[in-house]
Amino acid sequence: MGKHIRLGGIRVMKNGLLLFIGIFAAIGLSWAGLALGTNAQLGGLAPYYDQLENRAFPERAPGIASRGKLVYEDLGCASCHTQAVRRPGFGSDQDRKWGDRQSYARDYIHQERVQLGLSRIGPDLTNVGSRLKSPDDVFKLLYHGTAAMPAYAFLFEERPALAQPSPKAVGRSGDREIVPTPRAEVLAAYLLSLNSPADYPVEKAENTMAAVKKEGEHK
Amino acid sequence: MISAPSNVAASETDTTARGPLVLLLVSALGWLLVSGVLALIATIQLHTPGFMAACPWLTYGHTQAVQETAFIYGWAANSAFAVSLWILGRLGGAPLRGLGLLTVGTVFWNLGVTIGIVCIMLGEATAVSFLQIPAYIHPLLLVAYAAIATPGVLAWTGRRQQGTFASQWYAVAALFLFPWLYSAAQMMLLVAPVRGVGQAVVAAWFAQNLLSLWLIPTALAAAYYLVPKLTGRVIANYDFAPHGFWALLFFGAWTGTRHLIGGPVPAWIPTVGIVTTLVLLFHYVIVALNLRAGLGGGRGNVVLGFVSFGLLAYVIGGLLDAIFSFRVFAEVLQFTYFPVAQLKLAVMGAYSFLIFGAIYYLTPRITGVAWPSTSLIRAHFGLAVLGTVVTVVSLAAAGWVQGKGLGDPVMTFASIAAATRPWLLAATAGEAILLFGSIVLTVHFVRLQAATVCPAWGSTSALEASAS
Repeated sequence: MGKHIRLGGIRVMKNGLLLFIGIFAAIGLSWAGLALGTNAQLGGLAPYYDQLENRAFPERAPGIASRGKLVYEDLGCASCHTQAVRRPGFGSDQDRKWGDRQSYARDYIHQERVQLGLSRIGPDLTNVGSRLKSPDDVFKLLYHGTAAMPAYAFLFEERPALAQPSPKAVGRSGDREIVPTPRAEVLAAYLLSLNSPADYPVEKAENTMAAVKKEGEHK
Repeated sequence: MISAPSNVAASETDTTARGPLVLLLVSALGWLLVSGVLALIATIQLHTPGFMAACPWLTYGHTQAVQETAFIYGWAANSAFAVSLWILGRLGGAPLRGLGLLTVGTVFWNLGVTIGIVCIMLGEATAVSFLQIPAYIHPLLLVAYAAIATPGVLAWTGRRQQGTFASQWYAVAALFLFPWLYSAAQMMLLVAPVRGVGQAVVAAWFAQNLLSLWLIPTALAAAYYLVPKLTGRVIANYDFAPHGFWALLFFGAWTGTRHLIGGPVPAWIPTVGIVTTLVLLFHYVIVALNLRAGLGGGRGNVVLGFVSFGLLAYVIGGLLDAIFSFRVFAEVLQFTYFPVAQLKLAVMGAYSFLIFGAIYYLTPRITGVAWPSTSLIRAHFGLAVLGTVVTVVSLAAAGWVQGKGLGDPVMTFASIAAATRPWLLAATAGEAILLFGSIVLTVHFVRLQAATVCPAWGSTSALEASAS
């Protein structure tokens, strides 16, 4: 043990207070830089007001979709699905028709809990609302699953079929029919609401300029 | 070489804290088993999505979140508390004080984690990685943490020597950084969420630092303590150790955002993450240099074997992080199983192995009873090494296949799933082996505790298994 002290006789390490200050400086700097830095840069990001359409984008999700987002979070959909389209030239996102443009920070300003996701065991869902056309499409997907996705049968319930079958029914056996529960309905509303607005002029101009610059460099 | 502690040799410094430390270790091992079972279910669900699909509280999203929570807040947290408190007590040179608080804190911490996990299963997860426990349980955990950390703070402020050891810097850093990190993340993600993608940045910062500023420093505290003890040699190039320490704290804290490359955040954010991941190589070089005596393998001492494997996994993991953070690799491997494999290498290969080594070393010293069976320690070592290697390699291979598949726009998700299936089956086998290894450790630990009550249960040999 004595040898430790002699070999490591660096003054700073003998001073507990300095060690303490150093530890806090390390985390404080990274926190200020990343957390506060990002917030300073993006915290004031405002919706883009389109004068032609007389609407501001991104639009706020309707109430039923917000409730569906809670179901999305509750089931842990983000374990397999991302919600961010990468730029052309970085991955095949746009070749896969996941979006006409990359996702921008502005797209997320209204979201209380951003679900970018870490894993793509399934497809990106940024614009899934433009691919699935009706709640029916979503119900079939959720009820039957796919080769890569489990079936979420517990989001549906069986009930006696009436003379007039429910338009929402995903299946029927004899005099019973299988219909979505309210959770499935709000989840479908949420998924169908996912659709990025058209390109914002500011981001579009920046990207065009960056692309022009890059072309210039190559020549 | 260390002498075998008999009932006489176990010092007062160690034995006074026996009850609370054993409580922490029992909780840690319980959670290790829980997370092992869940990891097994989660990997089965990866290749067979229908597995348990009818059960609403075991969707893949839930098993994955619960597994992660049980591993980090259950196994890793409890074991980190036990090991860092023991080291701080040892190096402080006096018996630990504040043990009543420690016991109460441990009970409430584990109560909080249990309630949190039940809530996640019931659908209350926050959907924030590594912070899945619902917001209303976090204050309980934070208060419990304060109670648990008290003996550590007292041991540090009341230490008998002026000079401090590398082990102590790392242990103290871990002790103080966790509550700061944790409360900052809670505030900015759950209580008063920052606007838009700022959340993704804070989440990346938090997830990385849970590892870089809390678990890894704890494991390194154990490594810097155990290597000289087990090899009988002083730490080489000890003058460099402070640089390695500060490099981890100052650069490691920025590395998390490398995962956001290509995402909807300003480009400087992932760039800073990538650059600091490269600079952090400096830290890994110093750790390897300092602890090279321990890298050489067990040479018959199985406890040193755990430490060697842990250090090796740590250094290799650091190198892989640096290589695969480059844009050219990130483009393929982002959003695949590959980062999962890297995380597994860090939390199982590096953290858990170093902590296993510490548990094998400290348990006989706090209980005054030797490990009943050297073969069980060897069995655990073999299973843990095999399980870790198989899981990490097959997840990495699955990630590579998946990344190549994602890059091909015409390849469907069904065919990607089919292509990764063999590797995911191998990963499942790896998880099963790991679980079996954890069962061996737990059974052995319980047997040792039984031997403290009834010596007939213990080893007939007077020699401590860990000293050999």
